[in-house]
Amino acid sequence: MTIVTGKAEARRILQPGKSGLLRKIWEHRADYAYVLPAIAVMLIVIAYPIYYTIELSFFKTPPGLQLRDKTFIGFDNYTTILASRVFWKVTWNTLIWTVGSTFISFVLGFAAALALHRDFIGRGVLRAVLIVPWVISAVAASYIWRWIYHSDFGIIGAVLVGLGLADRPPNFIDSVSTVLPSLIVVNIWREFPFAMIMMMAGLQTVPEQLLSAAKVDGASAWQRFWHVTFPHLRNVSTVTILLLAVANFNSFIIPWIMTGGGPSNASHIWITHIYELAFGRQLWGVASAYSVLLFLILMTLGYFYVRALSGNERKEGSA
Amino acid sequence: MTRITLGSAVLRGTVATALMASLMSTSALGAPPVDLSKWSPEYVRSIAGTQDFDTAADCAKVTPLDYKGRLTFWYQGVFEGDPDLLRQYYKEFFETFRKTYPNIQLEEQALTYNDLLDKFRTALLGNAAPMAVRLQILGGTEFASKGYLEPLKPEDVGYSTDDFWPGAMKAVTWEDVTYGIPTNNETMAFIWNADIFKRAGLDPDKPPATWDDVVKYSKQIHDKLGIAGYGLVARKNAGNTPYRFMPQLWAYGGGVFDEATANPTYEEVQLGSPQSKAALQASYDMYVRDKSVPVSALTNQQADNQPLFLAGQLGMMISHPSDYDVMLDLQKKATGTDKDKAQTVIDNMRYGLIPTGPDGKRAVVFGGSNIHILKPEYVEGGKVDEPAAKAIICMWASPEWSLKMAYAGSNPGNLNGFKTKWMKERLDNIEFLDVTTSMLPYGIPFPALPQSPEIMNIIVPDMLQNALTGAMTVDQAADDAAQKVKDLMGGL
Repeated sequence: MTIVTGKAEARRILQPGKSGLLRKIWEHRADYAYVLPAIAVMLIVIAYPIYYTIELSFFKTPPGLQLRDKTFIGFDNYTTILASRVFWKVTWNTLIWTVGSTFISFVLGFAAALALHRDFIGRGVLRAVLIVPWVISAVAASYIWRWIYHSDFGIIGAVLVGLGLADRPPNFIDSVSTVLPSLIVVNIWREFPFAMIMMMAGLQTVPEQLLSAAKVDGASAWQRFWHVTFPHLRNVSTVTILLLAVANFNSFIIPWIMTGGGPSNASHIWITHIYELAFGRQLWGVASAYSVLLFLILMTLGYFYVRALSGNERKEGSA
Repeated sequence: MTRITLGSAVLRGTVATALMASLMSTSALGAPPVDLSKWSPEYVRSIAGTQDFDTAADCAKVTPLDYKGRLTFWYQGVFEGDPDLLRQYYKEFFETFRKTYPNIQLEEQALTYNDLLDKFRTALLGNAAPMAVRLQILGGTEFASKGYLEPLKPEDVGYSTDDFWPGAMKAVTWEDVTYGIPTNNETMAFIWNADIFKRAGLDPDKPPATWDDVVKYSKQIHDKLGIAGYGLVARKNAGNTPYRFMPQLWAYGGGVFDEATANPTYEEVQLGSPQSKAALQASYDMYVRDKSVPVSALTNQQADNQPLFLAGQLGMMISHPSDYDVMLDLQKKATGTDKDKAQTVIDNMRYGLIPTGPDGKRAVVFGGSNIHILKPEYVEGGKVDEPAAKAIICMWASPEWSLKMAYAGSNPGNLNGFKTKWMKERLDNIEFLDVTTSMLPYGIPFPALPQSPEIMNIIVPDMLQNALTGAMTVDQAADDAAQKVKDLMGGL
């Protein structure tokens, strides 16, 4: 029987041509070395918090005790959440917030991108102006909008009353029925420039020859858009929508600063509710279980995002 | 014309006596530096300026002035609703500390009332807390009960327990151990605009006597002038809300528990009682039925009421005497005709006692702040420089600085502060200060329980919002809040 030492065995395995996968790794060893620091940092700042959050979600953390005094309760936090009336209300709010903000931001951004794709005087200035909401700090924007919406002396109310269009200022953020749509408007105002930039970049990739050929063939403006431009933008649209959806699921600043999730939980979305459960009520276990559920949703969206990007790369590679 | 309708009414009534007894009830009460049984504006004036204190010399006995060390310190600092005068004193305090203890490397961080608890809790979870912290009165027992704080009593920094308000000492005591020292204690007052009262057909020099009157006056002001009558505040996670609603709740005979009694046991939840519901009904009547308070009350804080009041758009509110200085600060920033309008409001600003309930019960939150030292294992670096921490605590809790740091709106935690020359100066300079000192005997401390922050910052505001938005009826909102408190106390 031949005895092979560990070193010799490793050398044999790592020798080029002996194993496909290992050979590839060996060939790219310098690349792996370059990304190693980044991976190490990610493991520390992302992987460990995820692991700890998942672990904590199986523990009861009474607010009157320190976190180290937690007790294992299995899936109780998850069943508590799913049985809670507030969970379904907050989930519904989150869906309205995410779908409403994402869809309208995308449509407005796309429309603005189409308008700005044409050449006209002042296009550069208009483009710069439309990007302003996106570059303003979300915190500053939230405070400004709080004053714009203020139910007693907000600008909108003052204008409406001044013009005789209303007897008293409209109640935007102090009413359970209007608060969420009002916050969505602010979110759209902040996000649509992002969609606009993405779609403007996408429009640059539409081949002019195809559009010209379609025009020569007698296609109308709508037909050129629908049959030539839009198919070219499908992938960038998917990526934009996914990025917007992930950002909206994760939104915190606007609802927290403007209303703190109120009144009467009417503007609480998942993230603000998780924050309140963890830092206001110190229910770390419940908040962690919420976070795990949110993580799963975002991972699903992330999967589709990566798939959309991969689809882009494949198409570009085969072109 | 009398500007303050106070006078000798201060200690009137058996309720006030009982509450006074509550504030005084401590076994440690031997020979306090001031006679709390004689408490009145006149008494406060008589003792002001009667004793000199040498802060540096006193603190040198605790921590030598040449002590070399390092201290990390977080504190509840000034915020947008505070007057500039207070900012100046905070600045001066830290400058003086650095001069007095030149070899202590101080790393201080100011946080607002609403942010401090969240940030402090987070830091504790990561063992990254500061060595010493000055917290709102509500927070002391929460952190003491969880074992984060070192035992710390006034005697540890050169003072006597008798030097502090007995009610305030309760807020830093958990299971008979003292974990901190009160820096300032306060009670708010009722503020009204005499000009608005006059134009609305009300007696400009007579504030509402009862909370039912507040509801009526608020409606009358709104109906006659089309402006908000009373400055209701119902924002969640904001200290302003319990400070304004709890006096109303207690005055009607309600409470979260029995905290308004002389010897509270905190055993029975009373948020669902008929008296508590009556208090909630009063808020409902003003907000929903009469629409006589700011619509923005659900997202407002007191800092939002201040400009409304200064603009002559609000008739009544509850706040500190410092609001007078805040109005002066805001008026300085106004321009054109707004400046004159603001001056008219300031000239017509009146302070009085907070109204009573239907049975004559008058109550106000006994507020303030405490200072604590953390256990080393929860501090960044795992080490606490105790002499350095005691040095800053000795200075802040001194008669001189506990008064100066509360100059415009609060009162010194150290009762000797009332005897200093700065108190005498303050009585001459700060308008309406008498009202604050007059309300002190009616002060009721928040329940000294670890669950108090959640009850006061989340459950009580939620109850108000649920009732005022129509998400629940008044009865449902009160019962729902009572159940939440029961669940919380049961460890759910």
